Amino acid sequence: MKEYEMDQKQEWAVEAEDICFTYEGNDVPALDHFSLRIARGSRVAFMGGNGSGKSTFFLCLNGIRRPDKGRIMIDGKPFSYTRKGLLDVRRKTGIVFQDPDDQLFSASVYEDMSFGVLNLGMGEAQARQAVEHTAEELGLTALLDRPVHALSGGQKKLAAIADILVMGPEIVILDEPAASLDQMHTDLVRKVIAELSDKGITVLTATHDMDYAYEWADVIVVMKDGKVLRRGTPREVCTDRKLLEQAHLKPPVVLEMYESLKKSGIISAGEEPPGSVEELKKILTGRNDVRKGISEMERTPDAEENN
Amino acid sequence: MISIDQLAYQSALRQNSAAGKMAYAWMTLVVCVAGRSLEVSAAAFVVNGFLVIRKGKISPLRYGKMLLVPLAFLILGTVAIIVNISEIPLDAFAIRLRGWYLTGSRAGVRKGLELCAVAMSAVSCLYFLALSTPVTDMLGVLRKIHLPSLLIELMLLIYRFIFVLLDTAERIMTAQKCRLGNRNLSTGIRSFGMMGSALFIRSVKRAGALYDSMEARCYDGEIRVLSRERPVRKKEILMIGAWEILLVFVTLWSIMK
Ligand SMILES: Nc1ncnc2c1ncn2[C@@H]1O[C@H](COP(=O)(O)OP(=O)(O)OP(=O)(O)O)[C@@H](O)[C@H]1O
Ligand SMILES: [Mg+2]
Repeated sequence: MKEYEMDQKQEWAVEAEDICFTYEGNDVPALDHFSLRIARGSRVAFMGGNGSGKSTFFLCLNGIRRPDKGRIMIDGKPFSYTRKGLLDVRRKTGIVFQDPDDQLFSASVYEDMSFGVLNLGMGEAQARQAVEHTAEELGLTALLDRPVHALSGGQKKLAAIADILVMGPEIVILDEPAASLDQMHTDLVRKVIAELSDKGITVLTATHDMDYAYEWADVIVVMKDGKVLRRGTPREVCTDRKLLEQAHLKPPVVLEMYESLKKSGIISAGEEPPGSVEELKKILTGRNDVRKGISEMERTPDAEENN
Repeated sequence: MISIDQLAYQSALRQNSAAGKMAYAWMTLVVCVAGRSLEVSAAAFVVNGFLVIRKGKISPLRYGKMLLVPLAFLILGTVAIIVNISEIPLDAFAIRLRGWYLTGSRAGVRKGLELCAVAMSAVSCLYFLALSTPVTDMLGVLRKIHLPSLLIELMLLIYRFIFVLLDTAERIMTAQKCRLGNRNLSTGIRSFGMMGSALFIRSVKRAGALYDSMEARCYDGEIRVLSRERPVRKKEILMIGAWEILLVFVTLWSIMK
């Protein structure tokens, strides 16, 4: 991200400098001299094996865990761990927990969503309006009066996201947003995430889905043992085989396809790696012979229908 | 208990004001228990049945089955009051057994029936409330009448955690069953103990995570939440008022009689 290297401090949404954190009773640190800068409005995917420290970093960003060493800044302002300082931080950053059951404590979705906004000091009328507005945006209106335990896993997840969005944060952190969701709810959650970025909100997610991270993120942060192994664009990270191996990650399917097509000479060596399945399709349809093949493939189902 | 909860939020009466429903149920309960009148109790029982089944659209079979549970206890208890063992037969009935009588007096029978009726009407009041008003809505009303917030917060968290824990327990038990943890009585007992301790550890963990996530949403030691408002309609207030006054009059009349 060379374009940000200049002294434009206000552009960084998050800066973490050399933070260390060890859980009580553990020998190995969960975060080990961890440094990272995140530009405002960017989409950042955190990747790395179980226990690499993603969730711990997220909790630090929200002031839930206090690093033993190092400092974190949000919008260029260092954290102050006073009541007021923490309130400021938590107003700006919202975190959606991995397991919605860890987050939803209230008896109904409506109550749960109102909790955060009331804590921000909003008046009752305003809070009600915010809750109803956010629920409508996420398509949750029909579920507002449901008891939390009567929701499905996907609905719980959406409720947990709504809990945070209703507070209007500038930075939204989602810890494995698609974990244990079916395809429909995964798509739904991803659509919500995409809309956040469109609004200029900085979005950080932890994910194990390389295909998704590759297509969605501006920046991928690869973590291992509480350290940043690499921070780079999806292309930079995913074309680095050694790095992926080291972090026990697999390259995205699009890239693997691209590599093998390149090897067999169907794609010329000079071609840039595609950023998404769509781009790969474009590269392929750029070639006459392949285009014929694809259009034939796309025609086949219709032909079968007619039979 | 879970099915009651489900029925409550599916009830057609859910959309009526929770405050109204609670006022109705509690006042009727008090009048029934304080008045001890057979007629009043019967009336309340019938009206509650009507409200639950016709207005709330709860299946009569379900409701009937639920009423049978307390009835069984009640019958056992009442038998003990009505039936005496004595050498002299009393006026209501007497069954001779080798020189002794299983016997009861008219007054005793009346008293037993009254007790049964009062108890069943009280139960029907509570069932009406439980089958039309989810705990969420009740908590909203309790908040409105300024019950200490500590109590309400505890009720809220306990209510939520009952379901989270039941869910966890069910998962642990399934996992045990898959590994033959319930092969015979002794393994069954051991498995149950293990489930208990696992459940305890997980609850502590979960409570920690829950606290973290509440802090992340600026929790400051007091749980403030808004519940949906469903104001009491004038017509409802009038109907409830008229009904309670009627009950009180009937009670007075049956005492004077
Ligand atoms: N509450 C806790 N108490 C003690 N140790 C913990 C706690 N939470 C996490 N750890 C430890 O800290 C390290 C980092 O954990 P963390 O949860 O941050 O990893 P993660 O990258 O989020 O992993 P995952 O992909 O499994 O969610 C792990 O070694 C873990 O065992
Ligand atoms: Mg994690």
